[in-house]
Amino acid sequence: MTDLLEVGREILYREAAYLDEQRWDEWLALFTEDCEYWVPTWRTEGELTSNPRAEISHVYYAGRAGLEDRIVRIRSGRSPASMPLRRTTHIVANVLLTGTEGDALMRLRSSWTSHVFDPHHKKTDVFFGHAYYELRGEGGTWSIAKKKTILQNDYLPSMVDIYCI
Amino acid sequence: MDLKDIGLYVDDRPEQGVFRVHRDVFADSELFELEQTYIFERSWAFLAFASQLAQPHDFVVTTIGRAPVLVMRDAAGRLGAFLNVCRHKGAVLARAESGNRKHHVCNYHGWAYDSGGKNVDIKDRKAACYAAAFDAENHDLVPLARFASYKGLLFGSLSSEVPALEDYLGELKFFIDLAMEQGPQGMECLPGRITYTYDANWKLQMDNGVDFYHLTTTHTSFMDVVRRRERAKAGNQAARAFDWDKRLTQEGGMFNFRHGHTAIWLNQPQPERRQVYASLDEVRKRVGDTRAEWMLKLRNIVVFPNMQIADSTSLLLRTFRPLAVDKTEMRVYCMAPVGEPADLRAWRLRQFEDFFNVSGLATPDDTAVYEDTQAGFAAPVTWFQGYQRGMGALEPGASALARNMGIKPVASLHGSYMIQTETCLHAPYREWARLMQAGVSGERPYLL
Repeated sequence: MTDLLEVGREILYREAAYLDEQRWDEWLALFTEDCEYWVPTWRTEGELTSNPRAEISHVYYAGRAGLEDRIVRIRSGRSPASMPLRRTTHIVANVLLTGTEGDALMRLRSSWTSHVFDPHHKKTDVFFGHAYYELRGEGGTWSIAKKKTILQNDYLPSMVDIYCI
Repeated sequence: MDLKDIGLYVDDRPEQGVFRVHRDVFADSELFELEQTYIFERSWAFLAFASQLAQPHDFVVTTIGRAPVLVMRDAAGRLGAFLNVCRHKGAVLARAESGNRKHHVCNYHGWAYDSGGKNVDIKDRKAACYAAAFDAENHDLVPLARFASYKGLLFGSLSSEVPALEDYLGELKFFIDLAMEQGPQGMECLPGRITYTYDANWKLQMDNGVDFYHLTTTHTSFMDVVRRRERAKAGNQAARAFDWDKRLTQEGGMFNFRHGHTAIWLNQPQPERRQVYASLDEVRKRVGDTRAEWMLKLRNIVVFPNMQIADSTSLLLRTFRPLAVDKTEMRVYCMAPVGEPADLRAWRLRQFEDFFNVSGLATPDDTAVYEDTQAGFAAPVTWFQGYQRGMGALEPGASALARNMGIKPVASLHGSYMIQTETCLHAPYREWARLMQAGVSGERPYLL
């Protein structure tokens, strides 16, 4: 059990580091091709949306292709909201191993915070929440097959990109 | 500029080919205060969707200008809208954004109101030794001066000196109908809250929501993503919408309406990429060929002052609420036909999130530009900015196309997409100047 937690924690830390260091290809490679990447919205003050096919999400992708779109845009150098890119520092903590299925699957729950500095407007935003992961193991390599990010502070500033949360 | 001539902030001389707006209109905090009084507190404001208040005792809180507002459906099913303020000491009454409650009890001293706004309890009243004068007073919630609905959209006004809602919306109703009649059982707003702010004036959103001109610069990165989806069949196909390159060759135009409303439109290059296309036969039978055809076109409208409907990459309704001269709160809603098939609903949501979310691929590029524009207003220079693209093609009154549609706009324009006209903003700024001038001159805002 402990070993799996170590492995899972390592993936989550890498995910955060790759975003902070803008190592986009390595970040994408952490996800399976058929990964589900979901940031639900809040339906009310206390209740999240639960069905991305019937309710609005902040982000919902049923595959890595959606994440690739984000990177195409970030790299285009043609997005005013992404020039210059924000500088971010993600802190990932409280990682819990919440379930396993042999060597094929583990479930993790983490808490996260992301400090986002906009060098153009010289201001800082902070986003925070927690996240639920499903990691899939194949031949000793683990990848993110599902990530559900809960964004606690959803009264948003004028942009939130995938690397800010 | 002398405030008694406040209307001169808009340099409105169409016969000479000139329509310009003074930069202070976006940046002067004194004008901002006057806007609250003379525009937001004296016109109609969008409050909520009737679909959000389906059951007796459902409620939604919102605002008109600076005023907190509570919209409720009472026990008998009647909708009402009130100031969301307790009659005792003035605390905000309903603190949840929405819900279902038979009674709203003030957290301060416990005065209670039913879902019809009637005061039903004054805590410890019997022991209070109130004088008879108190018992003679009305303690019910204060209803808005005007409250009305149109096609499932609820509007309110703090002023009784407004035209009836249908007269206020006027000929723009044609375009509202195109959004609100897409489903045989009506339309609903989908659950999930997207609220964000940007650090710039509210009118920058008013402008940009009907601005074709910025798309090929501000949204080039989005167009790159779309092009890759189309050509390389890569990227998020679940959000696939029309091919943006194809829109550049389409015909389009605009209509100015009374009371500051406006509409822009464009022929849809790939109507099959819109959800309404799947039920077009049913739609044609219900609303007729002309309206069904118009439902397939791209259409963005401004319901003056601070509401827009966009039916382009997805069907959106948004409000932009001024918080300060340089800060605005945006609320965006995804609309869909009641009873829409699940696959179409999911596709609609993915298109909406892709473009209209502040966590999406296009909207943050808009807000970034608004903020840069506001920063530019800090320059201590005085000039008027133009809304002049397309003025050479402007037709006063109804064009042949408008007559064919059966609408009577104040002005029309019809041409290639590449005109990317700015004349659509003449109506809103003309109304802005008219209402502000009426305000400072002590005149009634509308001829009733």
